[in-house]
Amino acid sequence: MKDLELRRKYFEMFERNELPFLECKRCGFRFYYPRIICPRCKSSDIELKVSSGLGKIFAMTRIHKKDGNIITYGIVELSEGFRMYSNIIEDENKKADINESVKVVFIEINKMKYPAFKVI
Amino acid sequence: MIVGFAGRIFKKYEKDGIDLLKETIDEALDMAGLGYKDVDGILANIGRGSFHNNKSYFNPADQISEYLGIRPKYIDHIQYGGPSALTMIYRAYKAIRANEAETILCIQGGKISHLRDSSNVKSDLVDTPFDDFIKVYDQMLPISDYAMVAYRHSKLFGTTDQQRALIAVMQRYNAMNNEKAIFRDPIIVEDVLSSRIVSEPLHLLEIVYPVDGFHVFIVSKKTSKSKLRSIDILAYGEAHWPEPPAEWDDIIYTPTVESSKRASFNLEKVDAFELYDSFTITVMLQMEDIGMVEKGKVGKFVESNDLTYKGNIPINTGGGSLNTGQPAYMSGGVILEEALLQLNDMAKGHQVKDANVIFLNGLGWWSRRHAVTLVLGERK
Repeated sequence: MKDLELRRKYFEMFERNELPFLECKRCGFRFYYPRIICPRCKSSDIELKVSSGLGKIFAMTRIHKKDGNIITYGIVELSEGFRMYSNIIEDENKKADINESVKVVFIEINKMKYPAFKVI
Repeated sequence: MIVGFAGRIFKKYEKDGIDLLKETIDEALDMAGLGYKDVDGILANIGRGSFHNNKSYFNPADQISEYLGIRPKYIDHIQYGGPSALTMIYRAYKAIRANEAETILCIQGGKISHLRDSSNVKSDLVDTPFDDFIKVYDQMLPISDYAMVAYRHSKLFGTTDQQRALIAVMQRYNAMNNEKAIFRDPIIVEDVLSSRIVSEPLHLLEIVYPVDGFHVFIVSKKTSKSKLRSIDILAYGEAHWPEPPAEWDDIIYTPTVESSKRASFNLEKVDAFELYDSFTITVMLQMEDIGMVEKGKVGKFVESNDLTYKGNIPINTGGGSLNTGQPAYMSGGVILEEALLQLNDMAKGHQVKDANVIFLNGLGWWSRRHAVTLVLGERK
């Protein structure tokens, strides 16, 4: 697969509410940030897959913006084992914290769909 | 071979960045007893938007040479953020020993105060190949990334806000007697904890303030007119973990683990430490990663040691960039200048007694992906 093709497929999957990830067919390493080479074993035999969208919060912070808004941002570890940065949506009853379970949702940013995560 | 140095920092410098750069070079050359005609090598790392009213030099060492009328034999670009200044010293020593040049200017900084208003930030440069998948989110890099590390460090090890605040308090104590610091009023832990939370758990007083400023260091064979001590590089190591930290084994480690191992220097022999201080947590991560204290135990360590310039383990003896401000979003020049002031007994009001060996460590980029360890002292 070519880089631009891979990136385009990511955005097409976002539009279908699917969370993509890549799996190296040689060493089995799973990763999110799209590239045409496995960052571990350097194989270019890579398969594009769809994640269950279920995971846990690995790291997080709440950003207190000057306008008073509070934004939750973090690193989510998906059940397939890969990690990604994302915004996290929490509410009074479902507060975010490290190790809390989350589920992917798709939000609109600059008129495009992107994955974010909701505390479940 | 470091024969001269200078650092000039302003909250908001009124003239152009090139004016400030020239003033800083003039001051460093003056200390070295050298002139522009002696310069035959140049290394530079410049913040975006620094020159001619928010322009960025694509190839800064080259364009600075063009502006100043220098024809270098040796030119290089080391542009991985804050710790680049430490790397420049190492590369300059190597180049001079290899007879590639005799007098090398090492420059870091910029004029960026106009970028504190984010509407002035314009750039088609990307920070990672995955900006489209990282920077689209609502975040506040680099603060939010370091805040996540602080949050996770607390969750895993019980590190407290008070313990992090102690770093800010001890550094401020050091800054109180540093004429280069812009923040010099005494503070206590309560002041840090009652300052605004910017990104949980980090408070405003745990975060550097971006300022205009340049640092210039001159490495030269021509030592006869310099009054500085003959300083050598006692140890050096660098390490780069370029992947997004989400893909690292854990974000509580930094590449300092590897850079310090490469430098492999006995910490018992160190008189003071100058550790990159973009945030309180940054200092604490490096204390662990250089092996001063075991991973996870830095909180208690901070409580039970005196880290001031008068203390048993002096760290950031001039108050660090938390108190001088961070020139062009890079603290490397600040910690390097302070190391040289200490080694030359020039740290008026905050001098560590018998400072003969200084251990420096820098971290670069919002993701902490670049680490440089540098130990300076006289080779016996």
